[in-house]
Amino acid sequence: MSLLLQIIADPATVATLSPQQWNVLMQEVRGLRIDARIGLLLEAQGLAGVCPADPWHELRAQRHPPQLVQAQMRLELRKVLKALAGVDTPLLLLKGAAYMLAGLPVAQGRAFTDLDILVPRNRLEAVEAALLGAGWRHQKSDDYDQRYYRRWMHELPPLYHPERGIVIDVHHSILPLTSRVQPDPGLLWADSAALPGSTLRVLSPADMVLHSAAHLFHDGEISGGFGNLLDLHLLLTDFVRDADFRARLPERAAQLQLGRPLYYALSFSQDLCGTRLPDALVAHCRHFAPGPVPGWLMRTLVPPVLGPRHPRHRPAAFAAWLLYLRSHWLRMRPGLLAVHLTRKALRRASAQP
Amino acid sequence: MLSYSTSSAQNFLYRSGPFVVRLRTPIKGLQPLLRWCYDAAEEPAADAYVHLNLRVDQGPLRRRFLKPQAVFRFENRTPFEPYPQNHAFPLLEWGTNWCIAMRGHRFLMLHAGVLERGGQALILPAMPGSGKTTLTAALAYRGWRFLSDEFALIDGDRGHVHPLPRAAPLKNNAIDVIRALAPAAEIGPVFEKTRKGTVAHLRPPRDALERQHETAAPAWIVFPRYIAGHDLRIGRLSRSMAFTRLSQNSFNYRILGATGFERLATLIRRCACFSAEYGRLDDIAAALEGLPGLHAP
Repeated sequence: MSLLLQIIADPATVATLSPQQWNVLMQEVRGLRIDARIGLLLEAQGLAGVCPADPWHELRAQRHPPQLVQAQMRLELRKVLKALAGVDTPLLLLKGAAYMLAGLPVAQGRAFTDLDILVPRNRLEAVEAALLGAGWRHQKSDDYDQRYYRRWMHELPPLYHPERGIVIDVHHSILPLTSRVQPDPGLLWADSAALPGSTLRVLSPADMVLHSAAHLFHDGEISGGFGNLLDLHLLLTDFVRDADFRARLPERAAQLQLGRPLYYALSFSQDLCGTRLPDALVAHCRHFAPGPVPGWLMRTLVPPVLGPRHPRHRPAAFAAWLLYLRSHWLRMRPGLLAVHLTRKALRRASAQP
Repeated sequence: MLSYSTSSAQNFLYRSGPFVVRLRTPIKGLQPLLRWCYDAAEEPAADAYVHLNLRVDQGPLRRRFLKPQAVFRFENRTPFEPYPQNHAFPLLEWGTNWCIAMRGHRFLMLHAGVLERGGQALILPAMPGSGKTTLTAALAYRGWRFLSDEFALIDGDRGHVHPLPRAAPLKNNAIDVIRALAPAAEIGPVFEKTRKGTVAHLRPPRDALERQHETAAPAWIVFPRYIAGHDLRIGRLSRSMAFTRLSQNSFNYRILGATGFERLATLIRRCACFSAEYGRLDDIAAALEGLPGLHAP
């Protein structure tokens, strides 16, 4: 078993690690670039004192880069708000920015690369025009990419400001328009809450978990998504203390058509990170489980590509490839997928010298 | 030029200043160069804490025979494009520096050469190409202890500089300059046509490796600038100017945020700051003997 997973499930066992085990643990941590998160997690449990000096220095020193990223994101958000001052639209923060501004434990030491915001679909053009007018640029100017985003995706083509370089994703939904399930953005808005003293909104706790689950187990490739699984573990650990959340989550998942991703989120978070979930909640979500064959496939394929990789083991490339195919299958109808992959392949071929 | 034969992977464990490096590589030619460079350093215990797990692997199978490659890996990541396999050593040295710059946030890391005398450190910050490595190498054979040619690592406890005695890559003309100036200098094989031109590495002097645990108190910051044929001009630099220049010449000043500001301010306050333009190494080496508070050895 991975030492990192053991430490996440039961942080106190960090006190028992031998010097060689510390070396293995830190290789797993560095490989996943979650030094800051693990250091803060141990500190929150009062375990800083039991860590040997060398790894502790390293875990603590690596807090600085995410701290800078979070400060840059706060600044970027202020600039975005200023640019959108004249646009009559509500704004909702997603993922990293939401966790940070809502002050959730999951944000501790978490770095993120994009600023994700949600606006109503009928405000999309006004928001885009205002950002372009205030100096933001499209990251992808290629015609096919532009059309791909506008026709099929749940977000504008990514924008960035040349002076600061941070990428902004303006969403109008949480899953691509081509996706087999379409959670209604209206429901997300209806349950969202304003941040104290701000016009910015964030998703309700249940919707935050469901969005994160959809991102990892429906929309994403799963491979390399350990940071996302750690998000789910920390969000769930934090939220399940609240009885309303426990009661609401399964019913909300059904409403948003995200029962299956939620099932995977709960079971893999439990299996890999040892998340302590109330039995009643797990029982309520059991009917979201897939059939025996897909269930077996996921239990076989997901842990090797999602969990930390032992430093001396080869990457699970075949499992990752199968899951990559699965993510595209869920994202698009087969005909559309074939057209899209052909376009990408032709473009790659013509880009070769 | 070296040609490397290859076999199954070998492990090397060695200490580079405050960092313990474990290198795994199947490229056999790396071993003698590593021994030559770092043998004088104290060997870490077998269960020592490893800061940098590095690999220098061969490229894909189809490239093993025709133009073989060397691929640098840090914790399962491949941050750079491959190098030709006979440039594996420059790749390893350059990659190690990159890893330190990414991971060494325990320290305020300035891009500078560092030397020591009488427990006091002389910091020589400079932009690449300004002659910093050459000047540092020259001073290392003129009564100064070589701490680093690339990094001034400033700790948070006492504000001391930690040695990082690594192979100093001499580029192009600098190779012959140092050979002429310091016959005792041990210079490794010459690598032609690397990304930085012709490179040969200066082996860290023996006492630099043997004393790599001994930190030094910063006392002087001199910004050198080499201008061919120029007479020596050395002058005091205001602290505010030194601060601005150093903050722009650091690997992680911005990343450290408030910590970086405080540590840099403390550093500047305890140092005498100068800027120096020179055309001859002899001139500047002699002038540095007159630094305020420097006790003759």
